[in-house]
Amino acid sequence: MIKHDVVVIGGGLAGMRAAVEAAERGADVAIVSKLHPVRSHSGAAQGGINAALGNAADDTPESHAFDCVKGSDYLGDQDAIEAMCDDAARQIIWLEHRGCIFSRRPDGRLAQRPFGGAGSPRTCYSADVTGLVILHTLWEQLERFGVKVYEEYFCTALCVEHGIGTGVVALNMRTGELELITAGATIFATGGAGRMYAKTTNGYASTADGLGIAFRAGLPIMDMEFVQFHPTSLKENGVLLSEAARGEGAYLLNSEGDRFMFKYAPEKGELASRDVVSRAEWTEIMQGRGIDGCVLLDLRHLGREKILERLPQIRELALDATGKDAIKEPIPILPGMHYTMGGIETDIWGKTRIDGVYAAGETACVSVHGANRLGGNSLLETIVYGSRAAQHAVDYVKSNGAAKPSERTLKAEQERIDEMLARQEGERAPQIRKRLNATMSENAFIFRDEAQLRKACDDVKEVREAIKHVTVMDKSKTFNTDLVGTMETEFLIEAAQCVVHGALARTESRGAQARTDYPKRDDEKWLVHTLVWRTDGDPRLDYSRKVVFTKWQPEVRKY
Amino acid sequence: MAHITLDIFRFDQGTDEVPHRDRVDIDVPETTTVLDALETAKAEVDGSITFRRSCRSAICGSCSMNINGVTGLACKTPCNTVLRSDGSIHIDPMPNFQPMKDLVVHMDPFWDKYTRLKPYLQPADRDEDHERERRVSPEDMKKLVEAANCVMCATCYALCPVVSVDPAFAGPAAIAYAYRFIEDVRDSKTKERLAQINDDYLWLCAHCYACSYCPKHVEPHDRIVDVKRRTVAERVHMDKPGPRHALVVNKTIRQTGMLAETEVIQGTVGRFNIRGLLKIAPLGMRMAAKGKMPPLFLRPIPKVDEVRTIYESLEVPVS
Repeated sequence: MIKHDVVVIGGGLAGMRAAVEAAERGADVAIVSKLHPVRSHSGAAQGGINAALGNAADDTPESHAFDCVKGSDYLGDQDAIEAMCDDAARQIIWLEHRGCIFSRRPDGRLAQRPFGGAGSPRTCYSADVTGLVILHTLWEQLERFGVKVYEEYFCTALCVEHGIGTGVVALNMRTGELELITAGATIFATGGAGRMYAKTTNGYASTADGLGIAFRAGLPIMDMEFVQFHPTSLKENGVLLSEAARGEGAYLLNSEGDRFMFKYAPEKGELASRDVVSRAEWTEIMQGRGIDGCVLLDLRHLGREKILERLPQIRELALDATGKDAIKEPIPILPGMHYTMGGIETDIWGKTRIDGVYAAGETACVSVHGANRLGGNSLLETIVYGSRAAQHAVDYVKSNGAAKPSERTLKAEQERIDEMLARQEGERAPQIRKRLNATMSENAFIFRDEAQLRKACDDVKEVREAIKHVTVMDKSKTFNTDLVGTMETEFLIEAAQCVVHGALARTESRGAQARTDYPKRDDEKWLVHTLVWRTDGDPRLDYSRKVVFTKWQPEVRKY
Repeated sequence: MAHITLDIFRFDQGTDEVPHRDRVDIDVPETTTVLDALETAKAEVDGSITFRRSCRSAICGSCSMNINGVTGLACKTPCNTVLRSDGSIHIDPMPNFQPMKDLVVHMDPFWDKYTRLKPYLQPADRDEDHERERRVSPEDMKKLVEAANCVMCATCYALCPVVSVDPAFAGPAAIAYAYRFIEDVRDSKTKERLAQINDDYLWLCAHCYACSYCPKHVEPHDRIVDVKRRTVAERVHMDKPGPRHALVVNKTIRQTGMLAETEVIQGTVGRFNIRGLLKIAPLGMRMAAKGKMPPLFLRPIPKVDEVRTIYESLEVPVS
C-alpha cells in the first residue's frame, strides 16, 4: 500500500502548485496523474495570467477584483475573488524567481497585455505559450524537491471512512493493477470537463475525472450550468486561438466586413468579456452575417513582426488546421466550449465538505469566476488556490495525523472494474459518448431554452442508463486506454448531469447562462449558487449557499 | 471523405513475445490528422489500439510516433500528406525506445536525461521571497524563447542516431533544456551545468542534423552547437577530448587550410599524455606499414589566406 501525507490528483498547474507548496512546507507529498505532468492540458493555455503588477499602467488588486466581480455577473464570491487578486502579484513573482520565462518590457520588468473585461493591461504572458512555460517551471520544482509522481495512474474513486477522506484508488495503467493510495489529505486538481461537448478547445484528457469522483463520493457540485464558450476557436477541430490576439488588437469581422462587436459592447468592443463576445458572434452567425457558420478573426493589421513575436503558436495552429496564414488573411472562427466555471464546491481554502478532501483549479468551484470567467484568471486561480489548498491540507494533516486506511473502496472498485471487463456484449463507450456530445452541443450551447434543456436532461438520463451496460473491447492489463476511456465517459456523464439540470432549473440569464425564454438577470431570485447532489435518479438541487458580498453590490453589466 | 488503411504496429508486453501488424480500414475527412484517424479506428473498429495523446494541438508532446518511417507528432500530421500510393499509412512506435503496447513506449530513459540536469533555476541569491520580479532585458529573455517552446515530445531523441548506438548520450532534447538554463542570466550554475552535460557525452553529437526535424522549431541542433561553444568559452572540461578535438581541428584548418590528422590526434589525446599516445601507437604503426600515415607536418595550402578570411567573416567565437 502506498502512503503519503498529502496526495494530489492531477499534475497540471493547480496540482503541481499544490504539490510544491506542500513540499516546501515539509510534507511528504505525491502526485497521482493519468498523464506525465508536462502532458497536462494547462500547457495549452496561451494568453496569460492576471496580476495587478501595474507594470504597463496603474493598477490595483482592488480594481482587478472589481473586474472579476463584474465579469462573474455578480455571482462570484467576493471574499474568494479578493483573496485571489490580493495574492496574484506575489504568486507571479514567486514563479518568476523560480525561472518562469515571461515576456519582458524594455526596462526588464514583466510585460503585461490587455485582456477582455479588464480595466487595465494586467495579463502577464510568454508570447502565446504562457501555460506551457508555467507548467515547465512547476515541473522543474517537482524535480527540485524530488516530489514523487505516480505517473500514468488513473484515479477511479475517493476513499471515505467515517466521513473522512483517506486517499484514493487508482489504476496503475502500466500494470493494470488497482492500487490503494492512502493520504492524510487528498487534493483534486483534475482540470476541465470539455469533452462533454462535441467541439471543445479542451484536449482529449479533459474528462471531469475529479469532479465525477467527488460527485459519486457524495460531494455537491456547484454552478455547473455556467459553461464558458470561448469566442475564438477553430471550426475544423475546436482548437483555441488565444484571446491574446484581440488583446494585441485583432478585429472580429462579420460577412459584411463590419467590426460588429461595437454594436454589442460600445466601449470595449472585441475586448468585452467572453460571454458577451461569444453571444454576439453567435447572433451574427444566426442572423445570416456569418461565413460558413463562422465569423472572422483578423490579425493582418498587427503586422508580420508582431504576430511572429507575440502570437506565433496560434498563427501556426490556424495554418495547420485551415491552411490560412493569419499574417495574410483573416481566420474563420466560432465560439467553442472552453471552460467550466463550476466544479467541486470548496471554501476559500479549497476545502470540501468531506474532511481531508480538497479541490483546486478548474475542477473546483470556490467560486471566483461566478457566472463567467475573465481571460487570464484561470491560470491565476490554479496557482493561488492550488497553493492555498495545500497550505490548509498540510496544516490539517499535522493536526489530524495519518489516515486510517481501509481496503473497502479498493475491493469495491476492483469488483466494479472486473465486472465491466467481464461483460462481453453491449454498446461501447465511444458510441455512448457520441450521443452525450451531440445533445450537449445541440441543447446546452450558448443560448438555451426550456425545451432544449428538457431534451438534454432526457438524453443524459438515457446515456447514464446505457453506460451501466457498457462493454470494454480491450481486455489487456497493459496500458488499457479503452478501459480508462470508458471510465472517463462515466465521469463526463456525471458532469453533464450537473450542467443540464442546473441550467434547466435556473430560470434567468446570467453570465454564460443565456436562456432565450428568460433573457433577464433575476437578482431577487437567482443571486444564489446552484449545488447539485447525486442520487440514483435525477440529481437533487439545492440553493442554500448564498453569494458572498464584501464591497460591490450588483449593477447593470455593460461593456 | 477518404478511405484510409492504417497499418499499425501491434504489441503487448504483457502477452506478446513478438509484435505483429494490423491493417484497419476507416473513412475520415482527407484533412484529418493521423491522431484523429487513430481515434476513429479505436472508437469505431478496434478499441484495443493503444497510443498516448492529450491536447491534440501540438503542445503536450504526447503523440510522437513513427509515421511511414519518419517520427513526428501525430496531431500535427494531416493524413493526406503521408498517404502512400496504396492508400495506407504505416504507424510504428518511436524508435530508440522500448515498446510497451502498440504505439506506447517506455519513456523513463528519456525523463532520466532531464533529471540528471538538475532542471530547475539555481539563482545565486537564495532569497526567494523578493518583493518584485528580477529585471531581465527582453534580449536576454528572447535567447530562451526557442528552447522554451520544447514540448518534450522526444521526436528528436527518437530520430537521433547517436542515441541509437549509445543510450548514455544525453540526446538533443536534454541538451536544449540544459541550454535553457545555461543561457538564463538568472541562473548561477553555468559551469556546473556545462560540466554535467559534458559528462553526459555532449561531444558525441555527430552533427547529422536529424534533430532539426523538430515539430516546435526548437532547433535542438543549434542549441547543441551553442552549448559546445559555451563549454569552450567558459574553459570547462578543457582537459577532456571533446573540446580539445574541436579546438585542434579548428586550429589546423586555420593554419594549413587542411585537416592535419597527426596533429589532431596529438591535440585531442594530449601531446604529453604518454599513456594515451602509446595506446594509439599501434594504429599509427599499422598505418605507417601500409603507407597510409598522414604526414607529420603539413605545409599550408597556397591560398590559405582565403580560408582565414572565411574564419574571420564567420566570426567564429572559438579561439
